[in-house]
Amino acid sequence: MSMIRRLLALDGVNVICHFRDDGYLIEGYGLMSHNDMGRLAQFARDYRRIAQGNADQLAMFSGMRGWTPPHGWIIRGATQSLCGVANLVCVVDSTGAPLNEILMELREVSHW
Amino acid sequence: MTTLDDLMKLPGAMAAFEFRGSGEMLEHRIAYPDRINESTLDLLAHMCAANLSIATMQARGWEKVTGMEGFYPIQEFTLIGFDWSVVVSGLQREQYKQAGKFSLPPFMGVVLANESADYEAAFGLLERKEPVP
Repeated sequence: MSMIRRLLALDGVNVICHFRDDGYLIEGYGLMSHNDMGRLAQFARDYRRIAQGNADQLAMFSGMRGWTPPHGWIIRGATQSLCGVANLVCVVDSTGAPLNEILMELREVSHW
Repeated sequence: MTTLDDLMKLPGAMAAFEFRGSGEMLEHRIAYPDRINESTLDLLAHMCAANLSIATMQARGWEKVTGMEGFYPIQEFTLIGFDWSVVVSGLQREQYKQAGKFSLPPFMGVVLANESADYEAAFGLLERKEPVP
């Protein structure tokens, strides 16, 4: 069984995708079409670069250490949220999902 | 209503701040002035305002292309840095907008030390429902 698939066992996790550095979808599981998972992977790769760039600039302008390299990001919508860590992204319910645990799992799985 | 002082009680809270949609910082609290200062918070507020705008554009586009719902409006943005995280929310503004108010409250944010950060608690506090006056 794919290692990332186990994240779907966590409450509130609807989709999990693993993508290459160029945004190409390697594997994805959950309640979403394969085409949309491809789009999600591309979006997550782009957003990761945006977050990385922002953290780099914040560190450069402020001189404050500890922001880079960033571990991840969360965008929280009305009922759905996106969590990104390294080359992984998941769609989770905005309410009721154990975010702390999900982030911890994402970090652990991202090292495999 | 959730206040900056409430946010400062979160585990690992280093600073809390309010800012306008333009990124201009209004009020702030700092727990460890040797680690983070007002100037950094000001930059952080501008960075968060920019990210909320980008994420909002993406949520609009995503919902249009995929037909999925639930992403727009963006309520919170979180950047998890190497040692620190920032969590910002515009949920209260959305509640005021939906109530037809023209004068909106500021965005709120909190800087957390990752080693003790509790993101669920931060979201819980920032999403506390308050009656719109």
